[in-house]
Amino acid sequence: MAMNGPTATERFVNGILPENPVYRQLLGLCPTLAVTAAMKPALTMAGAVLFVLVCANVLVSLIRGLLKPHLRILVFTLTIATFVTIADRLLAAYLYSMSKALGPYVPLIIVNCIIISRCEICSSKQGVVTAIADAFGVAFGYALALLSIATVREILGRGTWLDIPVMPLTQGDYGWSVMILSPGAFLVMGLLLGLWNWVEKRRARGRLGASAPGA
Amino acid sequence: MADDRAVEEPRQPAAEGVALSEPPKGGALSQAWLVLVMATFFGAALAGVEHKLGPVIAMNKLNETILQVPSLVPGAVETTPDMESAHGKNVFRALDENGRLVGWVVQGRGQGFADRIEVLIGLDASVATITGLFVLDQKETPGLGDNITTRAFRDRFAGIGTDVTLVAQNTTTNREAGVIQALSGATISSSAVCTIVNQTVNEVKEPLAEAARAASVVRGDR
Amino acid sequence: MEYFVNLLLIGVGAALIHNFVFYYFVGLCPFLGVSKRIDMAFGMGLAVTFVISIASTLSWLLTYYVLRPGAPVSSWIWSTLGGGSGEVNLTILSYLVYIFAIASSVQFVEMYVRKFFPPLYKSFGIFLPLITTNCAILFACLEIMKNVVGVEPAAMWGLDQALVLSLGGGVGFTIAIVIMAGIREELELSEIPEPMRGPGIVFIVAGILALAFMGFAGVDSALARLFKAGMS
Repeated sequence: MAMNGPTATERFVNGILPENPVYRQLLGLCPTLAVTAAMKPALTMAGAVLFVLVCANVLVSLIRGLLKPHLRILVFTLTIATFVTIADRLLAAYLYSMSKALGPYVPLIIVNCIIISRCEICSSKQGVVTAIADAFGVAFGYALALLSIATVREILGRGTWLDIPVMPLTQGDYGWSVMILSPGAFLVMGLLLGLWNWVEKRRARGRLGASAPGA
Repeated sequence: MADDRAVEEPRQPAAEGVALSEPPKGGALSQAWLVLVMATFFGAALAGVEHKLGPVIAMNKLNETILQVPSLVPGAVETTPDMESAHGKNVFRALDENGRLVGWVVQGRGQGFADRIEVLIGLDASVATITGLFVLDQKETPGLGDNITTRAFRDRFAGIGTDVTLVAQNTTTNREAGVIQALSGATISSSAVCTIVNQTVNEVKEPLAEAARAASVVRGDR
Repeated sequence: MEYFVNLLLIGVGAALIHNFVFYYFVGLCPFLGVSKRIDMAFGMGLAVTFVISIASTLSWLLTYYVLRPGAPVSSWIWSTLGGGSGEVNLTILSYLVYIFAIASSVQFVEMYVRKFFPPLYKSFGIFLPLITTNCAILFACLEIMKNVVGVEPAAMWGLDQALVLSLGGGVGFTIAIVIMAGIREELELSEIPEPMRGPGIVFIVAGILALAFMGFAGVDSALARLFKAGMS
C-alpha cells in the first residue's frame, strides 16, 4: 500500500466482495448480528454506516497532509464520533421509530473497526476521489452482508421479508422465534460464513483446474 | 498472540503501531493545533445540528404520547402536558372539545423481562378507573413477550378500578379482582406490565385526584 | 435490604441473563480473537472488567454532573459566565465525551498497572490497548446514560447502580470468553468440515451457548421473590 495504491475503481470493487468487511475481514460484528433480526433496521443501519464512512473518509482524506503520525488515531476518533452523533440525531429527527429500534447500536458505530480501518488504510494515504469510491465500496459490502443475514433471519424467523409475508400456507401466522433471538444471529452468521468460504474454495479450485492443463 | 491478531484482522497488518512510538517534536501547540481546530469546528457543527434538530426530536417524543391520548381516554380530543400535578411525573391532561378535563394519561416505566418497558396509562378524571393502556417502548422476546403491545392484551386493563392491585395469572381476566390473563409463554412480561401499572397508579392517584377536584372547582366558579 | 436486592438483580441481569456477548452482541472482536487459550481469555476478561468499571464510573460522573440537562457543574459555569439561569443541555456531546473517557482511562490503567503491578501487567497488559475499541465498554456507558438522561429524578441511577451494571457486564464477558476458550481448546482436536474452520465454527458454538444462556431468563424475578419471602 504505497503512496499510489489501488485506484478508485479497484477500491470500490474490492470493498464489495474480495475484501468484504464482514465475511472476509470479520470487522464490525456487533451491529451485524444485533440489527439483522429484520430487514428494515438492517437497511437503516447500512445507511447510517454509509453516511459516517463517506463523511469520515472525505474529511480525513482532505486533511491527510496535516496529520501528525502519533495524533492520527485521535483525529480519526474525533471525526468519526462527530459524524456518528450527527447521524444519530438525524435518525432521531426523521426516522424516530427506527432510531428507537436500533437503540445503542447507532452510537456503537463509533467503535466499529470498519470505519477506523478505512481511515487508516485508505483515506489517510490517498486522494478524495479514491476515498469516496472506497467508502462506497466498503459500505456496499457491509450492506450486502447485513442484508443477506437479515434476509435469512426475517424469512425464517417471521415469515416476512421487508414486512411482506412470504411464507406460503401459513396465513401470516408463523414464527420461529429462535431465528429472531440472539442464538439465531450467531447460527445464521456461522453458516453463512461457512457457505462463503465454501464458494470461495470452489472458485479457487475451479481457477486452478482451468489453468493447470495449460501450464 | 500473532495468530490471534490474525483472526481478528486478517487483512490489515499495518493497522496499528506504524509510528505510534515516534517522540513528538516541537512545542505542544505546533503538534496539536490540528486537533484543537477540528475540535472547535466539530463543536460548532454539533451545536448547529442540535439547534436545528433538537426541537424536531423533542416534538417526536411528545407526539408519540399525544397521538395516543384519544384512544386511551374516551372523549378526549386535546392534550396538554402537565409536569406539576404529580410532582415531576410525566402527566398529560386529556380535554374534551369544550376544554373540560375528562381524564389523565400518565407515563410509567419499569423493568420488563428483557429491558425497560415504558407504558402510557389512561385514567378517568377522578382517577377511579383505568381507561386504557399503551406500550411506548419495549424490547421483550419477539413472538412471545412483545405481544404485550397487542390490542387484545392491552384491552384487558381497560375498566379496572384503581383501588385493586393487579396481578397476571394464567386464568381468564377478572376485572373486579384485578386479575389480568397472562400471555401464554410470557408470564414475566405480563407481570412486569401489571407491576408498572400498579406502581405508577399508586404514585399519581392522590395528587391527580386532588388536581382534578381543583380543576372542577375552578370550572364551577366560571 | 430492598436496596441490595435491586443492586443484586442489576448485577445478575447484566452478567447472566442479558450477557453482553450472547444477548447484546457487544465485545465480539476479542471474543473471537482472544478465545484460543483459557489463560489468555481469562486475562482479557479481567482487563475488560477492570477498564469497564473505571470507564463507567467516569462516564456516570460526567453524565450526572456535566452532560445531562440541568447538570449542576455546567449550569454553574453557564450562570457564572453570565448566560442566565437557563437549563444547559450538553447531551449532544455525550458520545464524544465517552469515547475520550474510555481512551484516557485505558491509557491511565495501562500506565498504573505497568508501574505498580508488573506481574498483572504481564498477564493482561498486552490486551489493554485493544480495549479502547471494544464496544462492550462504550455500550456500558450508553446503558448508564439511558438511565440518567431523560429519566425522572426518583428513577435516576446513582453511581452504585452504574458500577454494579458495569461489574456485572464485565464478569459476564469473562464467563462467556472463558467458556468459549475452553470449548475451542477441545475443538483443536476435532475434525471440522473445512469451510467451517476458524470463525465459522466459533459462531455456531456461540449460538448454542447463547441458547443455553437463554435458560437464565427469569432467574432475576425468582431471586427477587426468594429475597422478598426471606425478608417477611
